[in-house]
Amino acid sequence: MINYLANPVRFLKLSKFATPIFGALALMTMIWGLYLALIKSPPAIEHGQSVRMMYTHVPAAWCAMMAYTALAIASLVSFIWRHPLADSAAKSFAVPGAAFTFLALVTGSLWGKPAWGTWWQWDGRMTSVLILFFIYMGYLALWTIIPERKRAARLASILAMVGFINIPIIKFSVDWWNTLHQPASISTPGAPGMPPEILWPLFMMMAAYSFLFGWLALRGIEADIVRSRKSRSTDKPAAKAVIETV
Amino acid sequence: MISSIIKRDLTLALRSGGAWLFGLFFFAVFIALSAIALGGSLTVMRPFAPALIWLAVIFSAMLSFSAIFQEDYQDGNLAQLKTSGVSLVSLVSAKAISFTLLSILPLLLATPFAALVFDMPPQIISATIMSLLLAAPALAVYGVLSSAILAGRRGGGFLIVLITTPFLIPLLIFGLEAIESYTKSGLTAVEFRVLIGLSLIAIAVGIPAAAAALNANLE
Repeated sequence: MINYLANPVRFLKLSKFATPIFGALALMTMIWGLYLALIKSPPAIEHGQSVRMMYTHVPAAWCAMMAYTALAIASLVSFIWRHPLADSAAKSFAVPGAAFTFLALVTGSLWGKPAWGTWWQWDGRMTSVLILFFIYMGYLALWTIIPERKRAARLASILAMVGFINIPIIKFSVDWWNTLHQPASISTPGAPGMPPEILWPLFMMMAAYSFLFGWLALRGIEADIVRSRKSRSTDKPAAKAVIETV
Repeated sequence: MISSIIKRDLTLALRSGGAWLFGLFFFAVFIALSAIALGGSLTVMRPFAPALIWLAVIFSAMLSFSAIFQEDYQDGNLAQLKTSGVSLVSLVSAKAISFTLLSILPLLLATPFAALVFDMPPQIISATIMSLLLAAPALAVYGVLSSAILAGRRGGGFLIVLITTPFLIPLLIFGLEAIESYTKSGLTAVEFRVLIGLSLIAIAVGIPAAAAALNANLE
């Protein structure tokens, strides 16, 4: 599968079909999910109308984690087999991933105001999502600071893999820190006993966010392939001496 | 091989006219600035003293990270070492050890003086030094890793902070928790063992990753 798709031409042929499908699915599930979430589902008993924030918040947080996992897998493939396509994939996972992380932080904060009475709480989840955002930013910054594409891909993949190993450690330590310093004051809706009329829109929105992520990632990979092809054709002049001033 | 690289680093540092002491000055400046910002009252500052010392050590270390490979990369020493067949893993380990000796050890030695300035109780002082000592390997290894990733990039100062911060957060958390529980259970506190574990994980993950990053930068 990986070897088959590693050829950019073959990938572009496949993505020609897959990208519009993902886009259409994202659009349809998003409309249907938003209808269920904003209009059809009942307000929660103890949270009132603000529970509707959950339908945009939880899928964003979920997609942020999923995007980082995909990014780490693509980085592993890129590091071991040096497929240029895996580099494009990793880079294209990172941008929507960072955006979803930011969205999760913002919606969480907006939801926190009516639910807990504060914009920000240094609780385990919010803190670790914030750190995940820092990790994304470091990763993306590394891509921009290194001009040579191959080297940037290699270094970024190393950073992404070390970051992936560290995420459970960071989560563990933040939870430890939080339980010692914060009274357990936050109850999160989303526990097992959720009624189906809340669960269904949530699932629908999760599907919508996942398709949206897939669509954005595929578009990103396509654009990246085109960009690298273009740069290859323009900076052709073969032998030139480079004098670096340090 | 490792020992000769370390010896070379130490000799270079000693002949550099004291450039390796800048981190120590930064540590002192950080402590002074926080005392000024907090109003200078000892009763106010005493509870924050371990946190301030930890932050001073972490920031001082982070500012010296970018120098680990910078010079050797620019004057071609790293490329020479690579072509001479030195394993990059031992090169990276040697750099981590010399970074610990040159940049972290002076800070550890300065910690008792910072503690005097904050009028910390002796028990807390020894706990602070102990926790910093156990976290030092992880600090050095992540420093070497980020420096290897950014070797030869100009203006990597802020980026190196951004890249290493997520890795240093568990150290900061458990370092300060260890100080807190030292007063109750002494050196047997769980947090000290967690710190050792974090350092071991850092060595196991960070050294090969740093060697790979260095290799990518020298290709």
